[in-house]
Amino acid sequence: MSAAVEMEPAEQAGYFEVPRAHLYTVLHGAAEPSARVLLVGPFTSERHFSYIPWVRWARYLAARGIECLRFDYRGIGESTGVFEELSFDDWLEDVELLAAWLKRRSPDLPLLLHGLEMGGILAAKAFESGIGDGLLLWSPPANANVAFRGALLRRVAVDHAFKYKDERKPVSDYIRRLENGESLDVDGYEWSDRLWNESLKFELPAGIANQADGAMAFPKPVRMVKLDGRAAPLVKGSSVGYETINRDLSGLFTENLDWIRSAVAQHKRGSREPNH
Amino acid sequence: MNPTIETREVISVTVGGNCLWGTYHRSHFARRSSSASSGEANRVGILFLNPGFLPRASPSAVYWANSFAKCGYPAFRFDLPGLGDSEGDLPDKMLDFVSAGGYASSLSAIIKQLVERFSLSGVVIMGLCAGAVTALFTAAVTKECSGVVLMDPYFNVPPDRLKIQNELSQWATWTRLGALASEIYHRFRHVGLLLTGNKLPRNANFPLLHCWKQLTSAGTPILVLKAPAVKSQGLKPRTGVFDYLAYLQASSGRRSRVAVHFLEGTNHSFADHEGCRAVRHHTVRWLKDCFPPVTSRKIAVLKKPALEQAETGLNSYAPADQLALHRH
Repeated sequence: MSAAVEMEPAEQAGYFEVPRAHLYTVLHGAAEPSARVLLVGPFTSERHFSYIPWVRWARYLAARGIECLRFDYRGIGESTGVFEELSFDDWLEDVELLAAWLKRRSPDLPLLLHGLEMGGILAAKAFESGIGDGLLLWSPPANANVAFRGALLRRVAVDHAFKYKDERKPVSDYIRRLENGESLDVDGYEWSDRLWNESLKFELPAGIANQADGAMAFPKPVRMVKLDGRAAPLVKGSSVGYETINRDLSGLFTENLDWIRSAVAQHKRGSREPNH
Repeated sequence: MNPTIETREVISVTVGGNCLWGTYHRSHFARRSSSASSGEANRVGILFLNPGFLPRASPSAVYWANSFAKCGYPAFRFDLPGLGDSEGDLPDKMLDFVSAGGYASSLSAIIKQLVERFSLSGVVIMGLCAGAVTALFTAAVTKECSGVVLMDPYFNVPPDRLKIQNELSQWATWTRLGALASEIYHRFRHVGLLLTGNKLPRNANFPLLHCWKQLTSAGTPILVLKAPAVKSQGLKPRTGVFDYLAYLQASSGRRSRVAVHFLEGTNHSFADHEGCRAVRHHTVRWLKDCFPPVTSRKIAVLKKPALEQAETGLNSYAPADQLALHRH
């Protein structure tokens, strides 16, 4: 990898090469980091709506000595690749390749994975395969289809906003089209029937499905936080308007930074501690 | 991480002490050139602004930028201060800030830096919804702005809506009775408009209208793209809603160069396939008419004033309809 554009001393943006595409990445550096976190963010249109608080979270962590890397999945956002040709395996590979790169920067530092919504499933699957020294999840869905349905509902709501009652089609009609082999444009992303069907089987690993199970299954710190509407637009992003975009999330940030610090300390001690 | 790949590059500018991030899509001329800055010299660039608080990389924005670059126009997408990856604070009342032209000075500074860095002859500003408002305000204060593309612009100052107003809107669209009540309400509004002689509404954004008039009287090319709206008919808004576009077109002087297109089959975001293709089609045609792409040969000639008249070729222009829908 060559040098990246230096936006300010601590932030670097650039493209990371993966098979058949380039991932857009932003590294939020810290002078003497105590840990590194790979931020595995939301998917397709949710990515756009939660972008501002996600960037703020990365900056918050970096300013407190936690180096972060955030990125766009293949075919999404600023990354290249043709979305409709990709699968969950490709997006999981994105996480694995970036985690390996981040770990190589300083192998002695603990590496944590932090997933938000769909990113939670991808981060959890990577963690399950042995990547990372800790796992933080914010509102991961039980499976990818749950996240898809949320985005689909919002797409349908937009359709309905421009139509009167008689012209409106129910959500089930859209789902039927996907199940019958049609593809569907959702906020500029072409969902294929293949992707829809795969999403039903792409699940949060059973051992991480709830926090207690995570403690039993993994000898490493795991935390899962269910975010509600007060965390919008981090979650429920596309259903919110201008009024929440500047929301103060410092309480959420502080609480989770504390957990990250405790996970780092636990890693350093090399011992198991109960999860929070 | 590499800031540059074959077709695009992550770039930054510093404005008001904030580092602002953007993406530069090389024109196909520059892709052949050893240096991006020399490859774009004397060309007109196009800068796209996403609506509201969205980051610069929506699928449609990336698609349009790629399309324009393939047609020979260097394309840029930027995050304004506090948005996307860019540094800076967001205003508490963002809609009010946008409506007052709050981003114009920052965007103007970005454009000046792009023109200097890539030796561009000028920049066309393209904005969607709130991005269109910022585009107009910026164009009026930026001599480097060559033209404006406005996608579903609005010319009023959006009021703070009470919760009950949102609920009433929902009721009006979800129930027959609500639809009827809405229809009656808009009929009354229509009568009101007629009684006042179709005067500008009180919540018109007068400074924004002034920017429009300033640009049209200066002959700045403007392209307006309109999507269908509820109960509207083509370019006409629904009954009872003031027709700003008709008003502005009627009040523009002889020098005005305004083109307006209604894009059927899409919606306000223009993000679906039909919208994406139609926006590309109309914008590329308009760019070709107003700012014919300058070939490398032409640029070589421009560097030799004695031969300036000799070259008129536009060999590298690719008709919009021949471009495939690829998002790279």
